[in-house]
Amino acid sequence: MIKRLIAVAAILGGCAAVQPPAPVSEPVPAPVPAPPAPFENAAVASLVDGARADVAAGRLVNAAASLERALRIEPRNPRLWQELARVRLRQGDYAQAESVAARSNSWAGNDSRLRAENWRLIAQAREARGDAAGARAALEAADRQR
Amino acid sequence: MSRFRNLWRRLSRYGTFWRYLRYAALAVALLAAGFTLYLDFRVRSEFEGRRFALPARIYARPLELHAGLRISPASIADELRQAGYREVPREDEPGWFARRGDSIEIALRPFVFWDGPQPAQRVHVDFENGAAASVRDAQGRDLPLVRLEPVPIGGIYPANNEDRVLVRLNQVPNHLVQALLAMEDRNFQSHHGFDLRGMARAAVNFVRGRGLQGGSTLTQQLVKNFFLTPERTVQRKVTEFIMAVLLELHYDKSEILETYLNEIYLGQDRDRAIHGIGLASLHYFGKTIEHLTLAESALLVGMVKGPAIYDPYRHPQRALERRNTVLRETRDQGHATMKEYAAARAAGLGLKPKASMGTSPHPAFLDLVHRQLRRDYDEADLRTEGLRVFTTLDPRVQAAAERVLERKLAQYDREKRFGPSGLEGAIIVTDSQTGEVQALVGGRDARYRGFNRALDAARPVGSLLKPVIYLTALAEPSRYTLVTPIDDGPFVWKSRGAPDWEPQNYDRVFHGTVQLRTALAQSYNAATARLGTEIGVERVLATVKRLGIERRLKPFAATLLGAVELSPLEVAQMYQTIASSGFRAPLRAIREVTTQDGRPLKPYSLEVEQVFPAAPTYLLTAAMQGIVREGTAQSLANWLPPESAVAGKTGTTDEQRDAWFAGFTGDRLAVVWIGYDDNRAAKLSGAAAALPIWGELMAGLGPEPLAPPRPDGIENVLIDPQSGLLADLLCPGALELPFAQGSAPVERAPCASAVGVAVEEVKQQATSWFKRLFGR
Repeated sequence: MIKRLIAVAAILGGCAAVQPPAPVSEPVPAPVPAPPAPFENAAVASLVDGARADVAAGRLVNAAASLERALRIEPRNPRLWQELARVRLRQGDYAQAESVAARSNSWAGNDSRLRAENWRLIAQAREARGDAAGARAALEAADRQR
Repeated sequence: MSRFRNLWRRLSRYGTFWRYLRYAALAVALLAAGFTLYLDFRVRSEFEGRRFALPARIYARPLELHAGLRISPASIADELRQAGYREVPREDEPGWFARRGDSIEIALRPFVFWDGPQPAQRVHVDFENGAAASVRDAQGRDLPLVRLEPVPIGGIYPANNEDRVLVRLNQVPNHLVQALLAMEDRNFQSHHGFDLRGMARAAVNFVRGRGLQGGSTLTQQLVKNFFLTPERTVQRKVTEFIMAVLLELHYDKSEILETYLNEIYLGQDRDRAIHGIGLASLHYFGKTIEHLTLAESALLVGMVKGPAIYDPYRHPQRALERRNTVLRETRDQGHATMKEYAAARAAGLGLKPKASMGTSPHPAFLDLVHRQLRRDYDEADLRTEGLRVFTTLDPRVQAAAERVLERKLAQYDREKRFGPSGLEGAIIVTDSQTGEVQALVGGRDARYRGFNRALDAARPVGSLLKPVIYLTALAEPSRYTLVTPIDDGPFVWKSRGAPDWEPQNYDRVFHGTVQLRTALAQSYNAATARLGTEIGVERVLATVKRLGIERRLKPFAATLLGAVELSPLEVAQMYQTIASSGFRAPLRAIREVTTQDGRPLKPYSLEVEQVFPAAPTYLLTAAMQGIVREGTAQSLANWLPPESAVAGKTGTTDEQRDAWFAGFTGDRLAVVWIGYDDNRAAKLSGAAAALPIWGELMAGLGPEPLAPPRPDGIENVLIDPQSGLLADLLCPGALELPFAQGSAPVERAPCASAVGVAVEEVKQQATSWFKRLFGR
């Protein structure tokens, strides 16, 4: 602990490499949830639109297939994985819903909103499988993403 | 003859002649009636179903064109050519493309995909800096996404490799039918299955020395092809006659004609038999039957008589003369005007460039598709139901893999560096994130349909198993980190009932205490064996299983160093799980299947399962990047720049019998195996023989840099590479290495100043300190 304090002191004392955040005195308003940003890639956006229309029409298999097409274009896009997790949940494929949501989390970086949503999806999937304790744990994880 | 005369005499003598004759006549009549009934049953039951066996048709993945896609006009052109598109604009029908400078114009044919039909469409693509800059329709509107028609890559064929594409009579151009009837059966519309006038004409012509012509009607020909064996006997001729008459009794002319057109044999493409005018039209002219010209129709009709003799590819002159004979006959019969005749006669053969593929140009990949299909479909259905199978094959990747393996092995053969000529190899390329198999090569002759080494050659994997040991170790961050010291001194493993196991290092030198990451980077055997036995063989094998190996491996210590046989496909599965952060996705060669008429069947969807925590997988990947950066795979720098940050592992087996390289970039995973089929001792090594093939292949595909997502609970710490202790920015050559939170070394390296602390940690400390201070 002492070593760390020394280190912090040294940083404050003169190291310019690390910029501490500027102190803010006024209270910060609670963040307003922004609508999810549209998909940048037009091809991906059109596939996601198609998938959402398919979901609305109950064509879940087609929706999943469109999202897979989108994932082939942007395999590292956590929001695509999340869309797919949502479709799997609706399909009643709870194991895949959970796995795919976890995959989304692995690409989510610092996007806490996205992570929280993934944990909520995982909670629903676990709940549906009768894993109440697991669902609670997932909801707690969702709450921690702040 | 005399015996009959005796019988005759005896019968007359006994006076019972007439009675016997009546019995005999009755018996014959009954037999004939029975036979006819039997034939009638056959004709009706077989013709009724009229079920042509249709092969399952296998397609590559469709190319998804969109603005921003990294692709050259040349590779789009390649793919369109393979799909049977021609490089000549034809205003009246789709199925062509034209390249103009930095753009390409495509007239897409309609195509039924798994999720529905896509209409014919004109697409204009502009390119800039090696990527598609825009994709527009005929009106200049931006199209977000266009699927090109997928390249057909073969089929799963019925007996005799019969291939056909069914057509309806109303799709067939009139002039084709007229030319056919003019040549083969002028009285088709009026006869009852046999044609006395035709037979008489054939006989007269024969007597006049005009050669032997078949007097058979189309109906008789159909009966012959449909029901009978090809031997020429009187009995068969009689049967044919009766069946033809029966056929005409039960069915009308158009049904018979349609069946004939779909049945007829029209040539051979290697081991694949071209049947029916629907397929012949595609095979010879690259167009659907509706678009055949009179000249093209005449060429096909001319081939009916002898598809081999009049093969337009092999005997263009003979085929042309035959076609002109057909045209003349058609005109003489009044089915073509003089003007039509003259135009058709003046036309060239109009053949499409021959893209011969036999039953498949990529038999090894097809083999994998077939095996995966067999889990869900009957073999008989696959061979007869005309299923349409959409696979994951990427034609560009497949072609690159085939080329590099063939060229490199030819070079190795010439140099004889690794052993005598006759080296073999296998390659698998997958999408590292989804587990889709993009390419699979089962041997140096990629067209050869034989031993599929990618799937069936189970070979010792050598050091390819080492990453699994390190992964198992790194899952216990309190015991093992990337810099944990490991003893690479002489190692002896004693177990009851087995000889002592004393693994040697590849360079026959023991290296003393080394860091864990170095032991993997340099592939030290003694250190790895010590580490593996410390963790426990059983636990390592449990990891192997979680990564996706279903084969049970023997729980011997020697297994740790790869004394275990796996196929390249299994290796790819194991590495795929590592490449996608511990999420196992079963390797898939199929995406979707539809029925013959496009009805979707169960899709083979993407499935992932987290089988290993992300954090140790991330640490292992960093260590595997070290193998390429400074270890046994350093020579990969000859093909790929350091920024690509590739992770990979070399594998060499006892007596240098096998050379392996397995690794992944940001978007693909590939496994290369090289060795001899007879498993002989050689001078192979993973780095010298397999790695160059991997490097050349991947470099040609323009890989995405590898940057796996950093999982929670991992921090980057500056490390002094020599001591493995904490470094700071003043340390020369300091390395940023990942550690599970709290597992990084706390001792400072000699080079580090007094405040040398993990950069990340300081940032975090500072932040939380501020948080506490200001309540933020």
